[in-house]
Amino acid sequence: MIQVSHLTKRYGQNTAVDDISFEVQQGEIVGYLGPNGAGKSTTLKMLVGLLQPTSGEISVAGYDSQTELLELKRHIGYVPEEAQLYEHLTLVEHLQLIGRLYHLEERLIAQKITELAQLFDLSSQANQRISGFSQGMRQKCIIMSALMHNPDVLFLDEPFTNLDVGTVTLMKTLLQRLAGLGKTILYCTHILEVAETLCPRIMIINAGKLIADAPVAELREQTNQTALNEIFTQLTDTTGIDEKTEEVIRIVMEDTPNA
Amino acid sequence: MLEKIVERFCDAPTQYRYLLKTEKLIEKRALEGRNDLSNMSFAVTCVIGFIMSVLFTFMPFLLPMDTFTFSLIGITMSMMMIGIWMIPYFDILLIPVHYPVIAHTPVSSRTYFLVKLTRILTYTALLLGSLNLMPAIGGIWVHKGEFSLFRLLFPFVYLPIVFMSGFFTIGVMTTFAGYLTKLYSKRTLRNVAQYAQFIFPALFPVTLILLSRLLQYLPMDKLVSSLKWFYALPNGWFAGTVSLALGQIEPHFLILAGLAIAATLILVLVPLRSIAKSYSEYLSYLLESGNRQKSKIRVKTPLLGRMFQNRTIRAGLCLSFVYIRRDKHLLRQFFASLGSLIMLVVILDQEWVLHAFAIGLSPGFSMTFYFVGMGIVSSFILPIRYSEHWKASWMLRLAPLSTTYDLWRGVQAAAFLYFVVPCTLLMFCMATFIWGALGILYVLPGLIILLNYVILFPKPLSGLPLAEEFVQSQMAGETLIPFLASLFSIGIFVGIQFVTYLLNIWVYYGFYAVMVVGGLISFIHFLQKNRRVEETVDA
Repeated sequence: MIQVSHLTKRYGQNTAVDDISFEVQQGEIVGYLGPNGAGKSTTLKMLVGLLQPTSGEISVAGYDSQTELLELKRHIGYVPEEAQLYEHLTLVEHLQLIGRLYHLEERLIAQKITELAQLFDLSSQANQRISGFSQGMRQKCIIMSALMHNPDVLFLDEPFTNLDVGTVTLMKTLLQRLAGLGKTILYCTHILEVAETLCPRIMIINAGKLIADAPVAELREQTNQTALNEIFTQLTDTTGIDEKTEEVIRIVMEDTPNA
Repeated sequence: MLEKIVERFCDAPTQYRYLLKTEKLIEKRALEGRNDLSNMSFAVTCVIGFIMSVLFTFMPFLLPMDTFTFSLIGITMSMMMIGIWMIPYFDILLIPVHYPVIAHTPVSSRTYFLVKLTRILTYTALLLGSLNLMPAIGGIWVHKGEFSLFRLLFPFVYLPIVFMSGFFTIGVMTTFAGYLTKLYSKRTLRNVAQYAQFIFPALFPVTLILLSRLLQYLPMDKLVSSLKWFYALPNGWFAGTVSLALGQIEPHFLILAGLAIAATLILVLVPLRSIAKSYSEYLSYLLESGNRQKSKIRVKTPLLGRMFQNRTIRAGLCLSFVYIRRDKHLLRQFFASLGSLIMLVVILDQEWVLHAFAIGLSPGFSMTFYFVGMGIVSSFILPIRYSEHWKASWMLRLAPLSTTYDLWRGVQAAAFLYFVVPCTLLMFCMATFIWGALGILYVLPGLIILLNYVILFPKPLSGLPLAEEFVQSQMAGETLIPFLASLFSIGIFVGIQFVTYLLNIWVYYGFYAVMVVGGLISFIHFLQKNRRVEETVDA
């Protein structure tokens, strides 16, 4: 469903994504992990057509990102890392806009808005402007937008940020059900606990390079570690945590008047 | 120096200094990378102020006047200009965008308020300087009767007092804005405060025009005697203080000077102190997200939106419609353009404007329609490409649109439906009132120009509305070319119309018909061309 071949993105001298290749099958949920600035969001932006790759090929839902970008976009849903929205719109107006951009019927748009707003506990705020929304409510709004047009592939970039426990639980179950229905999900995060429970397969990117791509069980075998955070630490070479912690404490305590 | 004075009122001078330094740095960096026009917008305002002040300085050579009258005019002009030009800068105080960054730090309400106030006062001081430097020097030669050496003191007396009057104006405006902030628990009042920012500048030119027309009916002697009414107003108090300081020790000037000082202290400093204390309460309200909750979901489509089957055009139209009603930059432009509508009443009172040489040939009416229509349409079609929420345009880029032109066509549809149509109807009503059923022929050329203006107005490079970062002065620069081009077109049209009329009335009718039909064909051609572009991209 997702095929990426030798994908590279350079900003001048800086290489954000360096020659990565992978495939994701239909109905799979794949966790895409990596430290801050590793290139996760850049990869996702290229996959959804928001960024032009420097080189490499992308095919999503059978459509090539270079030649069939429009068709590709029709089949995907995207939850970005940062919830940038038209703040003067209400939730209803925002979802109407999205529905129209995906050419849904007005009746269907109205029905989906009403039902989704109720399920995401936003029915009482549905006619309020987004500018007055909390971060969590904005995130729900983005998630609803991504699901409105029944996409075949979902690209989620830290989708649970700012969500309450109830919604996170709902989302986890929802994503598993959607995968069961044949939807493909590429889930980008650095919250390893969620990735571990949700994603049977994990890809790890570090400094723009794909350094691991295997089911969690296989990664455990390869690294001789049981917990995903330990696997992650080992693969991304994030060592010396204890020393760093001590150093930070020393700096924090230094010259504190009431210490 | 100003900062040192304000710092004395501050409870944490170090915090004040650092915050102020940061504010300046942020402003400087925000301007970096923008075009020269943005960086120079305030300088341009000061230059305009300076030019006005030079014109005023030479006024006493044409109209003999005494010190009080000269100071009164200078101070009134200065207070009015400060009041009007500084209104947009009150966003610094009313909507401090960076407040959330420091909201959790131990900065007192008063300190933060004074930092914001200092920013406004700095601009005020610069503007006051540009407005009053020349009158302060020119005032030396303003006198009735014998020349006294006291006159040489005029600049040293006038400048501090005019600065005091300027700060008084800002103080009163801040106090007013501050008391509005106390009422912010009601969201509508916040909107009222914002709308007031747009309405006052729009009303100002209209008031001036109406006043100038009113003055024609007042005899000169009554006009001079009416000067004493200014004793009741703050500008009169400050002008009286100037006269007193220049040695005119008279009881009424003593009273006026007392009023000026007392007013500055009581009307400004005392309320400012109280507002400074409660400023953080207001700011914390800004951070709240408390909207009134409604249980029932209302999903509506604007009536005019239903006219379009193409859903992308409908999306563009509805998005534009919401932003027309709610975006403060669009509203500001729109209210400013409404000033031209109100001026219409005054302009159309002039007989020569309505003079018709032949059927459909009234250059005055055509030019009025052009200016009003162009002003109103431009107030929408130009700023709609910009938004504070430009980063949200990722949604529009992500959508599977064969061409983004469809979204722009939605914008054009909004321009036609919400601006061109009402404006044309208004002018049509006026033309019908004046010329009866033939009124339509006077409106048609203007309508044709407006239709072509909207359809030919340069699209943003991305083809998306609300997708570029808002820069006020960049926008002002971009208005100029389409405006000049359309002004040139209308000038040519009206000019050729007139020449053909002089040649032969039938030549004029022929040209009129060609112009209207040609304009319509051009409009339909460009409408179709956009559609063909879309089909090509689809293919």
